[in-house]
Amino acid sequence: MTQQRGGTSRGQKILVVDDESTSDLMRSVLRRLETEGFRPIVIQPEGQRVDGRQYETEALFALEDERPAAVLLDVRFGEYDEDRFMGLNILKKIVERDPSMPVLMFTQYAQGPYRDTAVAASLSVSAPVDFIDKLASPDEVLLRLRRLIGSAPENVKIGSMFELDASNGIVYSHTEGERNHVREIQGMKFEILKELATAYFRSEAEVVPFSRLERFSEGEDSRASLRVRIREIKVAMGKAVQRDFGADELIINIRNRGYRLSPPRVSSNSGNQA
Amino acid sequence: MPRTPRTIARYAGLAAAGIGFLLLIIGPFIGEAISPDTVLTVEPVSYSGAITLIVGLALVAGTYLIRRRSGSSDENGEANWSQVTQDYFDTFSHDMGRPFRRILGKEREVRARIEESGADVPASVHSLMDEIEQQAPSFRLMLDNVRVLVELEDPGAKSVMEPVDPAGIVRNIADRYFALAAEQGIDLSWWAEPQEFGLVYGDAAAIDHIVTNLVDNSMKFACKSIEVRVTRNPTHYYIRVWDDGSGIPESHLPHLFDRGWTPALAGRQEKSSSGLGLYIARTLCRRSGGDLAVESRTDRNGPGGSNSDSTEADGHYTSMTVMLPLRDRPESEPDGRSNGSQHGNGDRIK
Repeated sequence: MTQQRGGTSRGQKILVVDDESTSDLMRSVLRRLETEGFRPIVIQPEGQRVDGRQYETEALFALEDERPAAVLLDVRFGEYDEDRFMGLNILKKIVERDPSMPVLMFTQYAQGPYRDTAVAASLSVSAPVDFIDKLASPDEVLLRLRRLIGSAPENVKIGSMFELDASNGIVYSHTEGERNHVREIQGMKFEILKELATAYFRSEAEVVPFSRLERFSEGEDSRASLRVRIREIKVAMGKAVQRDFGADELIINIRNRGYRLSPPRVSSNSGNQA
Repeated sequence: MPRTPRTIARYAGLAAAGIGFLLLIIGPFIGEAISPDTVLTVEPVSYSGAITLIVGLALVAGTYLIRRRSGSSDENGEANWSQVTQDYFDTFSHDMGRPFRRILGKEREVRARIEESGADVPASVHSLMDEIEQQAPSFRLMLDNVRVLVELEDPGAKSVMEPVDPAGIVRNIADRYFALAAEQGIDLSWWAEPQEFGLVYGDAAAIDHIVTNLVDNSMKFACKSIEVRVTRNPTHYYIRVWDDGSGIPESHLPHLFDRGWTPALAGRQEKSSSGLGLYIARTLCRRSGGDLAVESRTDRNGPGGSNSDSTEADGHYTSMTVMLPLRDRPESEPDGRSNGSQHGNGDRIK
């Protein structure tokens, strides 16, 4: 179900402040973050009657001690009515200490008056804050968190077959446990693929318009030139994995508006970990 | 106008005070002293008048004090009702969500344990788990639809205008539905023109809800592809949700946005529908000063809707276009403030 992507997290810490962090739903999110290379730091106060204040205290200490890349924060803590919006208090304190800290508010109130309350609170601090409801899939949480952190992809997995190393300008193919440099992808072709991979990294469904890609093509008919380069990329990458990529694989033309990356599916379970 | 107990008490107090005052005035002329040798050289009539006056005034003052403490709810009775109802439905949707969150959590846990163990599990088991997973976005939307329906009943409800990034909203919705669409063999794509779309003033929650309903609707009917496009011109911005489904027969178009109307009522095959999504979407569009237009083609030969986009003229499709006005920045709005989920350059706001 999940395509392998990313790889830029490189052990970045995510501070998780949620009284339901041990629930199955949250465990699936934490597991997904770990798969992606993040290191979740979960706040778990001890005691018989744990309330929101204890989460707040421990979260603020952890913020100083752990220096996380982002915070995953619940809005509502426990069953006590006074803790209904404790997450917003914690948000305010976090932002007071570090206004640039990305915070993903993890709540069942992604819409409605509670969301409005949360938005109003976040507006007052103008910090990088986003909201997602608790029924979101782990993939959705990951994407939102990644966008919030805003890290440019240094290394993007394109399915389980390819990997784009943006900082070194190299595309690798993965076949039978071996990683090989796809030497034909360089220069303009690499830039086109990087543009597509970056959009894919941000949002799997995002189409990159022709106008953005035509910067990397030459000649009077830049559209035709782009088409040729795309074909060359597909051929080169196909050759690296002994595949012939069709029109609806790897790089697909969306309604003559632009291109979108679509990682090729493999029949065997040879997926590799990010 | 119906009389409330407080109003009745106020009038009774005024009447009592008036009678008491009258008795106090006329007492010396009609009454006799109870005991001329004591300080209480007062006639019974004046005595009664004074007590009645005090009680009456106290009653009137009491009704005003109660009114002040209750926040002038005589005038805002409807708003209070709405708040109470909203609170009720929020609690309801929270409690409704709890069991589903548990089910979803268990399903994800089972999936993880299967992966960890490396056990060879029949495809049918995966299919059952996928089915639970696929219900999540619809369930989220259903709970939200209930909330919005209640909100729409409130005559005092207004759109909350804030700086929003429509492309960001569409991106989030695409994230929500992409994997689900892929599992159903549907290719979901989205793009913005221009790609760096920037911020506009709008009701973020409403836009999110409108587009979610449209994408969810397309998921039910699309054959192979769903496309969401965000565009703008100098006066409006547009979010078009297009699918290559079988199209909507012309006879259905007039009823499409009716509350509770479903294609099932007209015999169209579908998986499930409450008939509320499109009604809510259009109502929210209109409340935001825009509109929702439908365009559909049922086959190559017969367009079901109005003028068609040339790029989609080669088969059946349905296209829903949200049209919303580009608004000027409100004077009270701080510069470049965004709502957290919509980060971007404030200077781009129209």
